[in-house]
Amino acid sequence: MTRREILRAQLLLAGAVLALWELLPRIGWIDPVFVPPPSRVLEALVHLWGLGLLGEHTRLSLGRALGGFGVAVVIGPLLGLALGGWFPRLRQALEPLMEFFSQANPVVLFHVVLLFFGIGESAKVFLIAWLCIWPIAFAAIAGVANVDPELLRAARAFRLSRPALFVRVVVPAALPSIFTALRLAAGQSFIMLIAAEMMGASSGLGWLVVQSQESYHAPRIFAAAGLISGLALVTDRILLVLEARLIRWRPPLDEGRVLLAGGAER
Amino acid sequence: MDAVTAAPSKISLRGVTHSYTLRRPHEGKHTFQALGGVDLDVKPGEFLAVVGPSGCGKSTLLDILAGLSIPTSGEVLIDGKKVTGPALDRGIVLQGYALFPWRTTRENIEFGLEVKHVPKHLRREISDRFIRMVGLEGFEKRLPHELSGGMKQRVALARALAFDPEILLMDEPFAAVDAQTRETLQDELLRIWEETRKTVIFVTHSIEEAVFLADRVAILAANPGRVREVVDIDLKRPRDAAHLRTSEAFAALRHRVWTSLQQGNRPE
Amino acid sequence: MSRAPSLEAPAQRATTAPRLRAAALRCSGILGFAVLWELASRLRWIDPTFAPALSTVVVTIGRLIASGALLTHICISAGRALAGLALGLLIAVPAGLVLARWTPRARLVLDPFLRVLSQVNPFSLMPVFLLFFGSGELVKITTVGWVAIWPILFYTLTAITTVDPILLKTGRSMALSERELVLRVILPASVPTLFVGLRIAAGLVFFMLIAAEMLGTNGGLGWLVHNSAMNYQIPGIYAGSLLVTLLGFGLHRGLIALERHLSPRAGAALPTVPGARRPAAVAGPAPRPSASAVPTPSRWSAVAEQEST
Repeated sequence: MTRREILRAQLLLAGAVLALWELLPRIGWIDPVFVPPPSRVLEALVHLWGLGLLGEHTRLSLGRALGGFGVAVVIGPLLGLALGGWFPRLRQALEPLMEFFSQANPVVLFHVVLLFFGIGESAKVFLIAWLCIWPIAFAAIAGVANVDPELLRAARAFRLSRPALFVRVVVPAALPSIFTALRLAAGQSFIMLIAAEMMGASSGLGWLVVQSQESYHAPRIFAAAGLISGLALVTDRILLVLEARLIRWRPPLDEGRVLLAGGAER
Repeated sequence: MDAVTAAPSKISLRGVTHSYTLRRPHEGKHTFQALGGVDLDVKPGEFLAVVGPSGCGKSTLLDILAGLSIPTSGEVLIDGKKVTGPALDRGIVLQGYALFPWRTTRENIEFGLEVKHVPKHLRREISDRFIRMVGLEGFEKRLPHELSGGMKQRVALARALAFDPEILLMDEPFAAVDAQTRETLQDELLRIWEETRKTVIFVTHSIEEAVFLADRVAILAANPGRVREVVDIDLKRPRDAAHLRTSEAFAALRHRVWTSLQQGNRPE
Repeated sequence: MSRAPSLEAPAQRATTAPRLRAAALRCSGILGFAVLWELASRLRWIDPTFAPALSTVVVTIGRLIASGALLTHICISAGRALAGLALGLLIAVPAGLVLARWTPRARLVLDPFLRVLSQVNPFSLMPVFLLFFGSGELVKITTVGWVAIWPILFYTLTAITTVDPILLKTGRSMALSERELVLRVILPASVPTLFVGLRIAAGLVFFMLIAAEMLGTNGGLGWLVHNSAMNYQIPGIYAGSLLVTLLGFGLHRGLIALERHLSPRAGAALPTVPGARRPAAVAGPAPRPSASAVPTPSRWSAVAEQEST
């Protein structure tokens, strides 16, 4: 199938789905209380914007997500690079602990965190950071470990000192791994954000979703949820662009394709 | 065609061509002819080697014989009947061994038997026999990743033989093993062939191998693939590797095949 | 390890000592943390009402075990998790098979839609499911089922399309019907990669289930934590959290071990970024799983060590 044919089929499909989604609730084949037509969802969105609430909640949610993510972005690579590259024994000691921490479900930790931080912004940011930091750190460790030994061999011929070798060769070589984990973590930060806001917040898009569910306001649920997905998507795209810029040498990772261990793309 | 040896052909290829179209993004459609008019007759129990340069369609030819590919024109007859698809009267041995990694040696060998719905105890007997035939006693329960290249190829051979096909199709089976193992496997193959007397079509890059193993060697030319010449190998059997490889007759035949190949390669 | 002298003693000792040391090193982090926790609470570095000592928490866990409550909750949670996984498998594997094998063009068309769907925030879906199903078992099972579907589907698709072609060729040469080909060649060859998807799905299911149980009601490990929180039973909160973490850890390690065991049976399975919750459709360049029994020096550190001599 040619690309044009595929694209045409996709557009047709998207159009058909939208049309059905709009039509079926209206004629009652699907209960509109549960699945509102997209026009109503848009209405709700516009309505929220009009009330000024949309901007408010979005800002708060983004702040939390990016805050937590930001913390993880800074600490994660540093931790991983330091452990993977400089303190191998410390790494061996801490890796199981880190693995243990990475299994600590932040949603479960919520109440523990609450005891220390109280219900506030820092609790949420902490939880999001906690979730994101481990995969990034592990990816950094793995990135360092998997640096092509041939690269190192070639670089050493230039008689670089250890620190210089690390900064000029190892870190760049580990970057693709780190970036992949960053994109993953970004997605996860949004997931955690909603969970955190659902449990202990009185603002934010996640709170809005819960609120709307409790008042059976389906269009708003979909509106808020859709907005969250949109934000996550945009963040992902931005990261992709950043990645392409910073890591020019990497062939573009086609979204959704899984890379085989041998590097062959399907 | 020999009128004296009146034995009907086991395999007959008549005017077999194979072409396919490629669509290159900026060049539009492009028809590539892999095979252009192949005529060949193979007698029952014969060992026929097929040699040729890269791109001459050797593997395509084998695919067509196996029934995995349909000729664009022409026909393939086995025992006088037209070939329309794969079947268990032909066994195939490929270069990459193609052993099922999740099955042990014995289970791999029994695969074809399972497909034929042979009952369990019979399967066991048969696989025992072939395990012995290829000299892999003691390795029945090994998984492929625990076997060497040579061993894997023996399993592949045993697997192809176990369900008793009349024809054996081999596509450069020994290309992936080292030279010494290769010679051992060649001897083994001849021994097994003498024992079972299958009709064998053996595709190879190696002229030496072809001359050593075969009754006849079909030399293919490329662009489009076709049979240039078929050389009779009238060396006595059983073929003793130690003496044969250094004999004059062998060298002469090898040279003959080589020359034919070279001429086939010269731009027309 | 026997300390008794034997004919092979010298060689043995040479290899067991470093291995013991390595094992001790790997335990030291977790042990250190445990000790720190205990001390911090007992010595009042942190207010013990907010952070009960590890020993207190362990005692609480002990009580839960003794009363049989723990087992009950684990069974409840496990039941939901397994149901969700089963749902995921039942939907995703056949769908993957059909898409990859019988309607590859449909797959090309649906690909971006599937990816978008897979990235829908499961927490935002929960309220939707709640609306549909009301609060009860079904909500939790469908939520975790949803979460399980995507990794299994994507890995099934990959697994089936990357079956070694010469295996397929061999099967076809034996005139196998499509059904036989699928059952005898394609599915067995797909198992290791499929298992990676299953492992990831299991992790996600566990994560999502506990979260859902905390947000919902009636029983399960997540509910245990939530309930303790509501009743200000602080040791209970820690106990629940610790248990969930330990279970998750054990599950993770167990599945990786199982995967390694299955791996040689059909070639390398796809690695994933360790510690990640949602690798789903995008897996990075092959990082080694972080869990290794005997630490192997990284190539970089080998360089680093050489330099310093």
